[in-house]
Amino acid sequence: MISLSLAGLLSQIFNGIQFGVLVALLATGLSLIFGMLGIINFAHGSLYMLGAYLVWSVVQVLDIPGKFWFGLVFSFIFMGFVGFIIEKFLLRRMYGQPVVYMILITFGLLLVIQQGVGMIYGTNPLPLGIPPLFRGEVSLGLFKYPLYYLITMCLGLIVIFAVWFFIERSTWGAIIRACAEDPETASTLGIKTVNVYTLTFALGAALAGLGGGLHAPMIGGLQHTIGGLIILVCFIVVVVGGMGSIRGALLAGIIIGIIRGLAGLFWAPASEIVMFIAMGIILGFRPQGLLGKKIIT
Amino acid sequence: MREKSQPSRREWLSFIITAIILFFLQPILPSKMMAAEILIMALPTLAFILLLGYTGQLNFGTGSLFAVGAYTAGILLSRYNVHVLVAIVAGVVITCIVASVMGFFCIRQGGLIFALLTLAFNQIIWFVIFQWRSLTNGADGIWGIKRTFIDFGLFSIDIRPSFNFYILVLIFFLLTFFFVKRLIESPFGKVLQGMRDSELRATAIGFNIVTYKWVAFVISGMICGLGGALFALHQEYVGEHLASWVTGGEIVIMGLLGGTFVLQGAVIGSGVFIFLSDLLNRFKFLAMGGGWLFILGGVFIVVVMFFKGGIYGGAEGIYQRLKGKILIFWASDKI
Repeated sequence: MISLSLAGLLSQIFNGIQFGVLVALLATGLSLIFGMLGIINFAHGSLYMLGAYLVWSVVQVLDIPGKFWFGLVFSFIFMGFVGFIIEKFLLRRMYGQPVVYMILITFGLLLVIQQGVGMIYGTNPLPLGIPPLFRGEVSLGLFKYPLYYLITMCLGLIVIFAVWFFIERSTWGAIIRACAEDPETASTLGIKTVNVYTLTFALGAALAGLGGGLHAPMIGGLQHTIGGLIILVCFIVVVVGGMGSIRGALLAGIIIGIIRGLAGLFWAPASEIVMFIAMGIILGFRPQGLLGKKIIT
Repeated sequence: MREKSQPSRREWLSFIITAIILFFLQPILPSKMMAAEILIMALPTLAFILLLGYTGQLNFGTGSLFAVGAYTAGILLSRYNVHVLVAIVAGVVITCIVASVMGFFCIRQGGLIFALLTLAFNQIIWFVIFQWRSLTNGADGIWGIKRTFIDFGLFSIDIRPSFNFYILVLIFFLLTFFFVKRLIESPFGKVLQGMRDSELRATAIGFNIVTYKWVAFVISGMICGLGGALFALHQEYVGEHLASWVTGGEIVIMGLLGGTFVLQGAVIGSGVFIFLSDLLNRFKFLAMGGGWLFILGGVFIVVVMFFKGGIYGGAEGIYQRLKGKILIFWASDKI
């Protein structure tokens, strides 16, 4: 039985966009790391999961108003630090070797972080409620929409725009782009490319932590395996949007999110698989992704 | 250049030695079934190594092909009561068909995209297995797979005792192992390795690299299917978790642990992985939160960072260094 109403359809599209923006937030980090190091970071999902657990911990420990937002900031900074450690002590040793090995290291990290969290926090779901100030719904003309979902959507868009602005318009961003494009020339101009790599990886990890923290209240209960579910969607979004393109990640995130939401309306289990089919079709027509540069092989 | 088509005496010798070594795997391990599991998991690992080590493609989708083989054999054995060998062959054939479709879409893209596409296909196959309840029982999996007799008409072999089953697995493993070994030394294998080193050069020489990659992918898929069919017999149960990307990831770990540039790495990798996971699971605090995977992940990172050739490569390096030292020592003594 499918009962379609305009309101239901619209709210599902909104859900899709909201999910898409959150995934795009993660995919932006993934995309940044790809553009710089040329690797797909398998551990990105685990960093997202770790970010969510950090926010949960802060909310449990602190007892001040706005502790959730404090946790979010803490998660952003702490995950940046984790990214810094990972790049500095693991990935840096792998430069100049086949990319496959760096991908495999991130895969090993996935296991270590995921199972480590599983050991520390246990495997039972840990619920984290929506912060009290943002419970409730707002009326958007035809339908009502949860306030917190709306807030995360806006916040996600702001952060993605800020990152885009940072990369495309600021001096630091110019340095990052220079290192991604031509590391040798950049280093002859006096840029310490290795430090730029570290910074980029840390930024990507911090974004993953922020995304995890934002998403945490919307997940019924935190589990150490949530990273594995979201990372596949992120991969799809990065590939569809075009590797290394932030705008592409946002566009693809929203498209994939809407497709997923609409498919869920007709047959709930299909929502997971439709994304893969969409990826297959889009890659069939544009192998470099929607906004990606043409791949030269 | 024409390669000889008959195995040389040296190859027969190595075949016999490998067979003897693997035969004695079962008395030294805690159980014969564990030895059989090691050889069974070595099959998809072999398939993974064939792709990564000899064509340079990182396949994250081996788990789903393994599951297709396992489900085919499991369904045929539990519902239609077919001959064991027929079930195994059917498992390989169905996996071959699935791998041809999967390979058709995946091999066109190199490197990173290939890895992601195989991962995507892995999820699609998992989804089909999970949702097609009338065929696969969905989340319940296939129960009631009976490991009974292999009927050869005149006589029959009982594969219920774990020793007999181990011998069956050993025969299949040896046949596959030496098939792959001869394959990579054949002109076909040389083209694959040439492609791995430089696709552009291979194309310029005039090889149709897409076809070569496709055939390699399908062969690797069929080996996964064989492993899956034997796994169904081993466990007497098939569950959808086999098709999840975790299984594919475990196979990746086994391949890297053993060593990706030698076929022997498959047995070493799956042996170390299964032995370690069994050992670590005996500690309560590790078994609870899946801590054994935590430790294996750490070991995996160390291996990838410091021992590119895996355990086999590391051991060989030490052996070579020692051999060099002994030679120098011996020579200096003579002078």
